[in-house]
Amino acid sequence: MLNTARINLRLFWDGAVLSYIALFRWLRPSTYIASKVFGPLVYMLFFVLLGRYATGSSDASFFVIGNAIQMCAWSGIYGITMSITGDHWDGTLPYVFGAPANRLIVFLGRAFIHVIDGYLGVVLGFFWGITLLGLDLSQTSLPALALVVLITTISTSGLGMLLGCLSLMTRNVMFVNNTVFFGLLLFAGANVDVATFPGWMQSISYALPLTRGIQAGRAIVAGADLSQVSGLLSTEFLFGLIYIALGYVLFRWFEKQAKRRGTLEAV
Amino acid sequence: MTLKTIKAYARAVAITFEITLRQNFSDAFIIFAVIVQPMIIAILALWMLRDIGGDIGIFVIVGSGLTGLWSGLLFISGNSITGERWVGTLEGLVASPTPMAVIVFGKNLANVFQSLASMIASYIAVALLFDLRITIEQPWLFAASLLVTVVAFICFGLIMAGLFVINPAFAQFQNGLEFPIYILAGFLFPIAMLPGWTTPISYVLAPYWAAVALHGSATGSVPPAEIGFAWLMMLVFSLVYVLASGRIFRIVLRKARVDATLSMQ
Repeated sequence: MLNTARINLRLFWDGAVLSYIALFRWLRPSTYIASKVFGPLVYMLFFVLLGRYATGSSDASFFVIGNAIQMCAWSGIYGITMSITGDHWDGTLPYVFGAPANRLIVFLGRAFIHVIDGYLGVVLGFFWGITLLGLDLSQTSLPALALVVLITTISTSGLGMLLGCLSLMTRNVMFVNNTVFFGLLLFAGANVDVATFPGWMQSISYALPLTRGIQAGRAIVAGADLSQVSGLLSTEFLFGLIYIALGYVLFRWFEKQAKRRGTLEAV
Repeated sequence: MTLKTIKAYARAVAITFEITLRQNFSDAFIIFAVIVQPMIIAILALWMLRDIGGDIGIFVIVGSGLTGLWSGLLFISGNSITGERWVGTLEGLVASPTPMAVIVFGKNLANVFQSLASMIASYIAVALLFDLRITIEQPWLFAASLLVTVVAFICFGLIMAGLFVINPAFAQFQNGLEFPIYILAGFLFPIAMLPGWTTPISYVLAPYWAAVALHGSATGSVPPAEIGFAWLMMLVFSLVYVLASGRIFRIVLRKARVDATLSMQ
């Protein structure tokens, strides 16, 4: 029993670290800086400036908070999807599915470092917000904000895990990634108050992760305490778990179908 | 250059144009870059800017169209030589008697044409969705601005294609180069919102002058003389880009023939 737990822990850690390292071409710092620091910064600046132009106000905190929290989607959507589907493209999927390893451990391991990385991405987003865009956190409970960011990062990563499994079945990984990432940009309320959407758009918004996390984040920055956003947070977390569960079911289904049909390496 | 040579080059451009279009239309990433992403940006920007009123509809449609044009240029034209390297056809291309610049010109022409055609279709869809009345205030000036923009973007693409090959570090920042141009060229908000030190950077970018000409002629907010100046700037920069790309292509060919490092990533 203890031995199994030890093996699973090693499997989880090695899988998590190696899949992450492989994604960034063996941790070349310039690749990381380009995709995780510079890219998200200019993306955030664009939407905050657009928001300022829209409102005509110098106070851009609505857009800064929304876009800072949305930073977790860079890791949660792109990172996790690419880590899961990377096994497919690099030809290592037969080894993953051929090994007698616990599939849940393997599956969760692909997301673990990206959750940490996504969290740091949001912290960096808030850092840019404070230093470059005048975000004021004087009314904010930082531990509460930290919890909001953690839960939102996990729930967004849940969607990424589901997409990663979908990406095992398509050649068009980047199309799926990009469309969902920009779909979140539109529907999750980083730049627009979801309440102004028509009913059908709100239905999409509230079926996605991130929407409630962004709302909770804005409330916390404005001075609310954790109890006032507990409903939003618990639902956000629940949605994350549902997406993770759906992703895992799809992961197992893909393995079963690929083995049965001999399509494990098909693209 | 003889008439025979010009005819041969024109034929090479036409064939490259056709093959590139055929390839692009089956590439989901390109479809995303030139149709889906600009449409999402257009919808989001229309929603965000709707209270400004006036001619914001045509401003957003032109601005988001420019984002698609730039993204297409960056990702498709930027990779037009690198893509040949990925599929192992670059050496053959370099060895052929047709100059590589002619081939890349044909590819860029197809890329810009596809971006433009796809966007016109998608913006009609967005206009219908939002029930927008799209009026171009100065249609002839707009059409001429579009033509000069296409020339400027194709020439800009020549430089990028070469740079991405000779400097892999530059290619690593490809994703990060998308939004800075949206910002600095004033596609969806005026550059007056940016700090003053960024203005000279905007002035040396052909996409900025494209935005001035296209926004100005579409909304009628800019006098014709100013639009003419924007055309002049685009043409001057196009000439600079062509001259610079000639130098860059010589380096690429040297890598191929002397260093034998062309196919290395």
